[in-house]
Amino acid sequence: MNGIQVLLIGGVVVIFLYYLSRFRSAFFDLLILLLFSMLAIFFILFPEYTNDIAKRLGVGRGADLLFYICILFFLFILIKLFARIRRLEKTLTDLVRKQAKDEAQVPEVNRDKN
Amino acid sequence: MQDTSGDSIFIPLMSILIDTKKVFIIVPAFNEYAAIKQVVNDLLSFQYNVVVVDDGSETSLYSLLENLDVTILRHPVNLGQGAALQTGIEFALSNQAEYIVTFDADGQHQASDIAKLLQPLLNNEADITLGSRFIKGAYHNMPAKRKILLQVGRRLNYLLTGILLTDAHNGLRAMNRKAASNIQISENGMAHATEFLTQIKKNKLRHKEVPVTIHYTTYSKNKGQTAWGSFRIFFDLLLNKIFK
Repeated sequence: MNGIQVLLIGGVVVIFLYYLSRFRSAFFDLLILLLFSMLAIFFILFPEYTNDIAKRLGVGRGADLLFYICILFFLFILIKLFARIRRLEKTLTDLVRKQAKDEAQVPEVNRDKN
Repeated sequence: MQDTSGDSIFIPLMSILIDTKKVFIIVPAFNEYAAIKQVVNDLLSFQYNVVVVDDGSETSLYSLLENLDVTILRHPVNLGQGAALQTGIEFALSNQAEYIVTFDADGQHQASDIAKLLQPLLNNEADITLGSRFIKGAYHNMPAKRKILLQVGRRLNYLLTGILLTDAHNGLRAMNRKAASNIQISENGMAHATEFLTQIKKNKLRHKEVPVTIHYTTYSKNKGQTAWGSFRIFFDLLLNKIFK
């Protein structure tokens, strides 16, 4: 094992443990994460396999394939986060609107007239 | 601030036809301290029901508008003009409004124009009227740079909504109850102006443009839309087309 492999495997393990401690109840999420972590560790230890997959897909190197997948993955995450922010914004708007309407300030002069 | 165009004949005529207290004027305001009091006083002189939506201004507008016959709705946080308008519209609808007008707080609109906007609604020619700076009878002292921006804006609106107006983003509009209850503004930011058009189209509302007078002051120019702001609006619209 060389230096970069130790570093990467260490990173994967730390991230997995962090998720394990925070989201203990989300069983299926953890299962998927465990699968991905094992896969990641496998490819870190035997990087030549990524080259085989890449060649089969028509990409020169395994590292390039990984790069392309990463771009797609991050775009996906971006969209998910954006959708979530939109939902949060909507919730906030509804809440604020309700409070504004409930606490409408009508000056005394107005009340006398009506 | 005072308007001198000769349309005063509408006002006595209108007050016979409708109860001006059933006309709700929604004034969205975010950190509008300089002009708001004058704007509200102008509106009150026409006996309208004025609703100021304080969209999370740093200091509440309540103290500025004390002793005035006006309802204040306050958003505890700033959400944007679109959100403020929707809050005001919902409040007006639940308080038996018959006609709802949206009016800017920076003093560029004329309270006397409201009668002109209401007339087509009273005649049952339209469900919603939109103020325009570019049709016959309108007056504005707009800088040339902004004019070009608005020309681009109105064509963009046409592309996005299928409605071609003579003006792009003008905060002065009037609607009847039907239009107000059908229109749901979900664009919290400035993109709501385009959303109004989308909703007009979607709900098959009858719309009409009415010439209005817009007075640009140094103050309202500074508060108004910049080229960068317009780009932001376009970006908002694009994103929301994708994420609907």
